[in-house]
Amino acid sequence: MSFEPKILGIACNWCTYTGADLAGTTRLQYPQNLRVVRVMCSSRINPSFIFKAFQLGADGVLVGGCHPGDCHYNTGNLYARRRLAVTKKILEFSGMEPGRFRVEWISASEGNKFAEVVREFTEEIRNLGPQTKFKIS
Amino acid sequence: MATSFKQIEENLKTEAGKLLDAGKVSMVLAYGRGYDEKHPLPYVARSLADVDGMVFNEYCTANLARYLVRYPRGTKIGIAAKAADSRAVIQLIQEDKVKRDDLVILGIPVYGMKNAKTDEAIDAKTTCGLYNPVIYDVLLGEEVHGQPVLSPYEVLEKVEAMGQDERFAFWKKELDRCIRCYACRKACPMCYCDPCFIDQNKPKWGEKSPETGGNLMYHLTRFHHLAGRCIDCGECSRACPVDIPLYLFHKKVAKECEEMFGQAAGMSIDEKPALINFRVEDSDKILE
Repeated sequence: MSFEPKILGIACNWCTYTGADLAGTTRLQYPQNLRVVRVMCSSRINPSFIFKAFQLGADGVLVGGCHPGDCHYNTGNLYARRRLAVTKKILEFSGMEPGRFRVEWISASEGNKFAEVVREFTEEIRNLGPQTKFKIS
Repeated sequence: MATSFKQIEENLKTEAGKLLDAGKVSMVLAYGRGYDEKHPLPYVARSLADVDGMVFNEYCTANLARYLVRYPRGTKIGIAAKAADSRAVIQLIQEDKVKRDDLVILGIPVYGMKNAKTDEAIDAKTTCGLYNPVIYDVLLGEEVHGQPVLSPYEVLEKVEAMGQDERFAFWKKELDRCIRCYACRKACPMCYCDPCFIDQNKPKWGEKSPETGGNLMYHLTRFHHLAGRCIDCGECSRACPVDIPLYLFHKKVAKECEEMFGQAAGMSIDEKPALINFRVEDSDKILE
């Protein structure tokens, strides 16, 4: 059987989740490998969520937030940007492939971009193969 | 020429005595005798009579800033601070854990500290390599002149040059040895959360028994929690009973934070810690 990646998507309620909604209502096709979790803001994301997701067998993690400056709470994604940058560096230095974690800014009107990003990311993870490093067997 | 350890010990006793005698502080945090010369213990002098118990020698590596957060806010504390300790004190002030006005910092310019386990000199390989305290009220001895021989991030080159898989194998081998004694957490001046995330049961972030998954979760999250806050004293790796080179990861994170956010932890009391701050002009490039 061919490898179907499991991807965790963490989407901010105000932009990316609404963008995903728009992608759905405009009937855009994108892979079903993404499981979306909705959070109120990208700065709600505890870095441990990401480590935990990898441990529980996610092959990739995609975080979506508002464009910097567009945050519903004014400054949330500016904090998140710094924090997630550090998360990325830590994953990289621990030996995880850097491509498995990605942060994208997708606004509520960018249904197209959402579908495009998910398509691209799924393809990238498919090429990387199953994630075995962090996974607890 | 650096002041001798004996001289610093004398100065420490005099200054601590003066402070306690004048009632400016209710306690002085310093080092006291352990079961032998190589293992000095953290020591709290509360009265003039206690001052005689103080020692200072090349094995006094423990970071005393660890003990500042134990006392209620507003307690007047005198603290003997070496270079790294003083950075930890600044970081705690930045995080509003202690107030600058409550502290009397007895700065110790230090040269030639030794690791009690291996008897190797402690230098920029495992610590930030600074000699002089960044902040102090009284300096016990002459300032040490000169630059560290190594830059603090030079030791990283070997690990950075590894490929992804090799590096993962390296860290897996190191972290698998962890026995989860939490000595790193206990020794760290910045680890003051109560309860620590790993002790929480709901949500349970990681397995508490020493096994690969839980070890990885504990250490990676700890590295993340100390990002932009770790002051590179190297005390975690010296406290570690199985000698995991935790300082390597902390150094890497500190280096990245310095490059991305343009500030090192614990260098100025006017700054905010990097991760509870932001700049609108931060670049999206840091996420790549």
